[in-house]
Amino acid sequence: MPDTTPPPSIEVTDVTVAYTNGHIALRDATFTLGAGTICALVGVNGSGKSTLFKAIMGFLRPAKGHVRIAGATVEASRKRKLVAYVPQSEEVDWTFPVSVWDVVMMGRYGHMNFMRIPGADDKRIVQECLERVGMGDFKDRQIGELSGGQKKRVFLARALAQRGRIMLLDEPFTGVDVQTESAIIELLRALRGEGHIILVSTHNLGSVPEFCDQVVLVNRTVLAFGPTDQVFTEDNLSRAFGGVLRQFHFESSTIQENDGRTVKLLTDDERPLVFGRGGHLEYTNRQGREDLVNERAKEAGE
Amino acid sequence: MNDLFTPFHYDYMVKAIMVSGLIGGVCAFLSCFITLKGWSLMGDALSHAVVPGVSLAWLLGLPFSVGAFVAGILAALSMGWVKNHSRLREDAVIGVVFTSFFALGLLLLSLYPSNLNLRTIIFGNILAISDPDILQVLIISALSILVLGVKWRDLLLYCFDENHARSIGLNTRFLHFLLLALLSATAVAALQTVGACLVVAMLVTPGATAYLLTDRFGKMLVIATITGTTCGVVGAYASYFFNGSTGGCIVVLQTLVFLVVLVLAPKHGVLAARTQRRAAAAS
Repeated sequence: MPDTTPPPSIEVTDVTVAYTNGHIALRDATFTLGAGTICALVGVNGSGKSTLFKAIMGFLRPAKGHVRIAGATVEASRKRKLVAYVPQSEEVDWTFPVSVWDVVMMGRYGHMNFMRIPGADDKRIVQECLERVGMGDFKDRQIGELSGGQKKRVFLARALAQRGRIMLLDEPFTGVDVQTESAIIELLRALRGEGHIILVSTHNLGSVPEFCDQVVLVNRTVLAFGPTDQVFTEDNLSRAFGGVLRQFHFESSTIQENDGRTVKLLTDDERPLVFGRGGHLEYTNRQGREDLVNERAKEAGE
Repeated sequence: MNDLFTPFHYDYMVKAIMVSGLIGGVCAFLSCFITLKGWSLMGDALSHAVVPGVSLAWLLGLPFSVGAFVAGILAALSMGWVKNHSRLREDAVIGVVFTSFFALGLLLLSLYPSNLNLRTIIFGNILAISDPDILQVLIISALSILVLGVKWRDLLLYCFDENHARSIGLNTRFLHFLLLALLSATAVAALQTVGACLVVAMLVTPGATAYLLTDRFGKMLVIATITGTTCGVVGAYASYFFNGSTGGCIVVLQTLVFLVVLVLAPKHGVLAARTQRRAAAAS
């Protein structure tokens, strides 16, 4: 399908958002994103990630500064259905009496007449989008009868059906199995290839370098933005996370030289769990564990 | 056998049965949105808050439904305003606002008696409904059905996912007030049938019953509307034999249907849940 619309872009300039109770959620936030990117929006809870999302969707009017979508105002972009939002699983009422098909069809509402009666085109697009996320076989299920990963894919299909060029994903990997996670990442990469802008809000640091080419770091303002390898520095991250960031310093941990490269690191996105050679549990701090260190040293000598 | 047809020999009974059925159906259709949106308490509040409007309409020489509708909308607006400008939780706000409106209504009606007496407004008296009042109910019902018929998909999306509705350019503020307006209008229409105290039953129970029976919104609408209409008709008819309150009859009937469904619903009923638990334990 030839696309004559201008390429998508997000420009956030000097945006300050204050809530009615006077609380300032975001101050002087600035960043820009061009077509064809997967960008992570990283920060702790309450750092202004969702405020930034709301400002981009036009739900909040900035007290200062402005947001432009594809060169136009957020109101204009909403009329053109440019921005698709994939909600966090906690925000959705999963007992609601709607099927997978119904939910994906909601992505087409903006394109229908005022009675919202789906045409043949709408049905074809919904079917395509369901198949693209691998949920074609589940279209008649009630949404509560799905697994965490399937639920996420349904809402991704809805965003696809909306045909927005900009996608906002709120914590897309919470409650999702590893397989679905890679399937979703694969899909996002394909969309990036098609020129979409994908903005992913997450506090899961480990997954960011895996699939995001750009990062916006927030903590009540935009601390840094740009390519992942430039922004994802220890210095920037400790500014974004402060004391919240969990750390594991190998040099001060119980890990020994002889563990070498066999060290295994597991994490549930909180503190990492580290195993040394032969599956020894390793601790962040040597202090208080001298006997353990001695034992390991003995093993190394044998 | 002939006894069963006696109610139909009375003009007032035929009118009562038909109006009850109509209102039962309209309220039931709306109840699907109210239960899913979590506005049951709001329905209760608005049905009480319309009372001062009845009295003021009488004083100003307007049809009672106009005054009641305006009072309902004013109450909804006041709730929204107080909630946005105070740190109170929503249930406290609703509680304060609707009791204030209701109290004002009681005071006005005791000071300036209107054509509808206090008892009628609070407990309903469908058997004595006048023809102009029937006309008001007909107009309100027709308008509500028309609006719901055209906008039900938008309202459904608004109830399900307000953020998405907003992001694709739907006017969610308009939909919010549309739902409030429909709620006030149907509360006004149901006022004479079952009275302000029981209106909320008409606006919640059929939807709650249907929700237990299906996982599809379309079916939920159908089931709720059929339940609401049937209970309205049968309740009004049965009240002739019991010689009891029509509103009471209709709502008790709705509750009986709800209880049966609560226990026996094939998938979401109490018995079904028990069977599923047993099956899970056995496997």
